[in-house]
Amino acid sequence: MAHEMMLLALQLGVILVATKLNGWFFSRKLKQPKVLGELVAGMVVGPYVLGAIPLGSLGALFPPVVGTVPVSPELYGIATVGSILLLFSSGLETDLPTFLRFSGKASVVGLGGVIVSFLLGAGITVLLHPAVHSIMEPEALFLGTICTATSIGITARILGETKKISSPEGVTILAAAVLDDVISIVLLSVVVGISAVEMGGGSVAWGGIGAVALKAVGFWAVCMVAGILVAPHLTKRMKRLESLGVVAELSFGIALLLAGLSEMAGLAMIIGAYITGLSFSQTDVSAEITERVKAVGEYFIPVFFAVMGMMVDFKAVGAVLGFGILFSVIAFAGKLIGCGFPALFVGFNLKGAFRIGAGMLPRGEVTLIVAGIGLASGAIGADMFGVAVMTMLLASVAAPPLLVQAFKGGSGYRKKLEEPDAGDVVTIELDFPSERAADFLRRSLADSFRSEGFFIRTIEGSVKSWQVRKEEMVFVMKRQGSKLEFTGKREHEAFVRLMLMESLVDFQEFVDSLKSMEQPEMMGAGLLMNMFAQK
Amino acid sequence: MKIKNILSPAVVTTSLKSTTKEGVISELLDLLVSAKLVTDRDAVLSALMDRERKMSTGIQHGVAIPHGKTAAVKNLVACIGIKKDGVDFASLDGEPSRIFIMTLSPLDRVGPHVQFLAEVSMVIKTEEARERLLNAKTAQEVLAVFGI
Repeated sequence: MAHEMMLLALQLGVILVATKLNGWFFSRKLKQPKVLGELVAGMVVGPYVLGAIPLGSLGALFPPVVGTVPVSPELYGIATVGSILLLFSSGLETDLPTFLRFSGKASVVGLGGVIVSFLLGAGITVLLHPAVHSIMEPEALFLGTICTATSIGITARILGETKKISSPEGVTILAAAVLDDVISIVLLSVVVGISAVEMGGGSVAWGGIGAVALKAVGFWAVCMVAGILVAPHLTKRMKRLESLGVVAELSFGIALLLAGLSEMAGLAMIIGAYITGLSFSQTDVSAEITERVKAVGEYFIPVFFAVMGMMVDFKAVGAVLGFGILFSVIAFAGKLIGCGFPALFVGFNLKGAFRIGAGMLPRGEVTLIVAGIGLASGAIGADMFGVAVMTMLLASVAAPPLLVQAFKGGSGYRKKLEEPDAGDVVTIELDFPSERAADFLRRSLADSFRSEGFFIRTIEGSVKSWQVRKEEMVFVMKRQGSKLEFTGKREHEAFVRLMLMESLVDFQEFVDSLKSMEQPEMMGAGLLMNMFAQK
Repeated sequence: MKIKNILSPAVVTTSLKSTTKEGVISELLDLLVSAKLVTDRDAVLSALMDRERKMSTGIQHGVAIPHGKTAAVKNLVACIGIKKDGVDFASLDGEPSRIFIMTLSPLDRVGPHVQFLAEVSMVIKTEEARERLLNAKTAQEVLAVFGI
């Protein structure tokens, strides 16, 4: 046992150093997502390349492991915790109201992408893979599923960097990407069910598959509804512990519990983790939980990506390189056509449709998770796992520049973006003599709200804005030049106005106290004189 | 927060007599002192007047919301006074103030009183509710406007 633990510590150390340095190199020098650097680091230090080299009496750092996963169960366990952390934080970062608002358009786009990608992915496997003869065979099913998921992380990051998150295309892409991941995860459960039957021998019982699908959708729906209803009450109680750290830790505990329960119910663990995140995303402490979970994730998530990279057996991939490239091209086409074409029918023009198609290209964590589960269950071999990683790498490398290019020019939406319930939304404006004064007061206001139990988080975008939230009361504070703007629901208007007034009174008191201060230039002179004073 | 947990007939008057801002505030404070909700009367009066000096609490449509923060209360306390003839309260619209809703909150928190006033303002937003308050003869009739 001691030897295994020693080896695990060494492996984790090497993984962290390699992924962090390579992640930095990819993001800073190559302007690519960090995740690519982490994957490549895993490939290089893993059991198929440098990790296989014997190091004196220690032997190989990543000795070959017999079985479907080429790393030790201990290391794979740590990587699994990383995947749970990743999906938990993805859920936390999903904006459910936006998702629901654009859910109609996004459902059409997302579903189109999933169906076309799945059929193309599974179809090309049947066509070109000599050992696969039917779309119902595990390899075809897994490769089809691998094509369906879009990386929310990579997409959101690119949209954020190009300030396009709030555009009609941006919102639709994100909502559809969420939906894609949900469908992919549900699809994964179904595929795992079918594959288990296929590999165990005997014929596929459609009733059984229907039950698996129903169980997957049912588990998802019940947990989602229950989670969203329960999470606000739960956080209210947890806040009584008066430690946001404990709230975050408890919520991650719940994510682990639900992940375990998902697995017990025959579903993927990531479903439970994602649902927990999504449930807590609607609470006023979501930003605080996210911040803490992400800090822990920084240590564990690279291990997950590195272990995914370690699964790439270059010898096996070499044999299917041609197929891999063709499969990647098909996967691109699946998303561009499957998402772009339906977008034309839900209010977008050709430019908008192309942007949406391009935005749905990045593949990431769910692709790897699907492929990893396929590999671990023996449904796909190392060669097809390599194809999945290749697709992810190529899509993730190609998408960022394509997306940046696609978003140049005018709007891709035929109509103007409709504001929801415009009559129910109120904006309060305050003008200040300078930007500095506005920013000073904004900070003082933020402190006042914080002392009343509000949580404030910065909203990414071109204009400086902050979400101020306490339970169901939410409003957005914006600073545009020397102007402060507060937008929220009409029912909360009186509260916001009174809070602002109280803060202004405090501010007035502060200004009065400044006026009574000894002249600052005299203070400054005193400071300088003392500098040269002799003892 | 529930308005009915804060207000009771003991802290409501429909017959304010004073004709000055300080007089009205003083009278309202006496209500809270009589109801044994406030002990250090002088310190509280000074806190309320201090707040008025910073920015008048006379708003619009004859409504004024004098309030202050003081160590003399542990929880939010409030009272309501009506003066049909109105008093010059240096209100925003220049109109005399007739309906007075006074709150006192602990030093460290403004939230409860802001929440209370926000809820009260939702009730007296309409002309009809304000008329009912002005025509109220008893404390109970005033509280009825707030559904108590």
